[in-house]
Order: sequence, then structure tokens, then C-alpha cells
Amino acid sequence: MSVLQALDVGLAFLVFAVAAWTVFAPGPFAATVGYVVYGLLLSLVWIRLFAVDVALTEAAIGSGVTGVLLIGAAARLRGAETTPAEEALTGLTRLFAAGLCLLVAAALAAVVLLLPDQGPTLAPQSMERLPETGLGNPVTAVLIAFRSFDTMLEKVVLVLGVVGVWSLAADRYWGGAPGEARAERPEPTLAFFAQVLAPIGILVGVHVFWVGADEPGGAFQGGAILAAMWMIVMMARLTEAPQASAFWLRLALIAGPAVFLAAGVAGAVVAGGFFAYPPGLAKPLILFIETFMTFTIAVTLPMLVAGPPRREPRR
Amino acid sequence: MSDFLLATAGAILFTVAVGLVRILGGPGDADRMMAAQLIGTGGIASLLLIAAATGARGVDDVALGLAILAAFASAAFVNSGAPAEEPDPNPADDR
Repeated sequence: MSVLQALDVGLAFLVFAVAAWTVFAPGPFAATVGYVVYGLLLSLVWIRLFAVDVALTEAAIGSGVTGVLLIGAAARLRGAETTPAEEALTGLTRLFAAGLCLLVAAALAAVVLLLPDQGPTLAPQSMERLPETGLGNPVTAVLIAFRSFDTMLEKVVLVLGVVGVWSLAADRYWGGAPGEARAERPEPTLAFFAQVLAPIGILVGVHVFWVGADEPGGAFQGGAILAAMWMIVMMARLTEAPQASAFWLRLALIAGPAVFLAAGVAGAVVAGGFFAYPPGLAKPLILFIETFMTFTIAVTLPMLVAGPPRREPRR
Repeated sequence: MSDFLLATAGAILFTVAVGLVRILGGPGDADRMMAAQLIGTGGIASLLLIAAATGARGVDDVALGLAILAAFASAAFVNSGAPAEEPDPNPADDR
């Protein structure tokens, strides 16, 4: 066994151990910590699989954004650690649930192990046509050029998600702001930390978006890092979440899909096909679309995490 | 050379694993939340070593992202320890 194989086995064991710890963790908060660690470890695994784009997404979404969402949920549940329904669960029910989970996991593992060594793939064709897009990163080319319609619809789903979250608001809070008001005197350590981290994070986020054309990265990963930076500034209560009725916010939420769709329709007129790019102009157009997508993602994710409006709207 | 880098990465990962056993054990939530920081340092170190040994591209950006998000996660943990929001004065209106 080579050193690399030994390392892979060790890494897999570590991931498995942290996953098991997360399941058996005492209480929701501890489980959330385990889950965040698990996500960070998974990005190491993705690096080992040479899926660097996925590693970035896993770190940003799996650990960062989902982590905050779960931490918020755990903090709200702190008062009521066990619900009556949970206490009513007998050992037998729990055993049954565990057995079912194991069955699903075993079935998934079996399917993965039974896959043919050389599965059906469009990768060679994608790599062949990659130069026509002017991009160097095949993942970005697939996302924004080869299957751009799907990517556009994925962003529409995010907007629908925000609509869903907002619709949970009580009537009198409709159009108000989610989360707490801006603090008169923010907690000094957290405020200092946010002020140091946010500028660096914004730089890294924009960088990840920009290099996405040629290196691993892209609109989603960059946007997610930018989203995390907005969230930390709101968490430190240096600023407050915008009102759901704010016109600029609603414009920002739809800017990405709207520009994407407009470019797609323009392609039908100029380049002879819905979502076709004119030859030679593909890369600038893709970067133009991605700029708005990054912006929309950076605004959408914090709004999803912030939850439904909880304060009455100011007029 | 690459074997040496990989062995170093393995050694760091091992110390992270040992550290995780102690940190996740608690006893308090504040102790546990340092686990994210531990991965933020040790994990990134082994990440960069593995990348240098295997020649994966773009890994330095992942390291940057991980460093920021690990710090971000810790801040979120701290924030969740803040006093809870005021309870809804008249929840009956929610219906």
C-alpha cells in the first residue's frame, strides 16, 4: 500500500468517524458542530478526487451556509431539547429507523460498487468543444454554456425558495425585515472579527468568481463566500437585514436569472438559437451573466438563512 | 519528495483526528465549537500538502475558502450563544 492509499484510507476513516459522532452526538448543537466538521473534511475528500469545484462548493454551502442554518435552528430548539413526540419514540421505533437508514445506505453503496468501470459519459465531447467557449474550466463551460438553461432554472429555484421562506411570515410582519435590529453597541469581539474577516472574504469571493472561467471556482462558489460575508456582518449586528419589501432587494434577487434569460432570448435573435452565444463573444457574455448570478446568489443565500420577516415593516 | 509530503499530510491529519476526539468530547458547547477551527488549521495544512504532492490545480483557492468559512462557522457558533430574541408578545395574531 502506497503512502497515498494509506492517506486515503485514513481520511475515509476520519470522515466515517465524524459522521458517526454527528449521529450519536449529545444534543442538536453538538451534532451541528459535528456536521460542520464533516463538511470541511468532505472538501478534503473532493480534493483527493480531483473535483476542486465541488470541494469549494462543499466548503461554502455544505459547511458555511447550511452550518449557520442548522446552528440557528439548534439555538432556537435549546429551550425545548426534546419534544413530547420525540419522548414517545420507543426503542423499537428507533431501531427500525436505524435499520431503514442502514438499508438505504447499503443499497446506495451497492449501486455505486456495481457501476461499470467506464460509465456512459459526455466528458470527451465537452472537452472537445471547450475551446469554442473561450473558457478554460470545463465545469463552468458545462454550467453556463452547454446546459445553461438548467443552470438558469436552478437560480429561479433559489428565488422561489426565498418566496417560500417569506410566505411563512405573519400577516403583520409582511414586508418587514428578518432577524434582529442593528445593535446600538455591537458585541465588540464579534464586531471586530466581522470587520477583519469581511473585507478579506469579499476579496476571496470575487477572486473565486473571477478565476472560475479558467480555474476551479465560479459564480456559485464565489457568490456563496460573498453571502457568508454579508451574513457575518449581519450576525455581528453591524448592519441589519433589509426589509423584504425593499425594491433594491427584490431587484437583486431576480437580477441573475433575469439577465441570464435575457441573454438566452437575445441568443435566439442574434446567434440563431435559444441560449446560443455568438461565436467569439461567448466568454465575455458568460462572464457578464456570471457577474449578475454571483450577485444574486450573494443576496439570496443570506435571505434564505435569515428566515421569514419577524419585525413590522417601517413605512 | 511527494511521499514525504503525503506522509507529513497524514501525520497532520492524525493529530487533527486525535484533537477532534478530545474537542468533540466537550464538555461544553464552547469547547466543541473549536473543532471547526481545528479543521480550519490542520485540515488546510494537509490539504495544501496533498495538493502539492498530487498536482491538483486550484487547491490554493479552496484553502482560502476553507480558512474563511471555518472562521465564519466559529463566529456563527458564538452568535448562537447570544441571548434569545424577545418572545412574540401576541402570538395569536400569527394565525
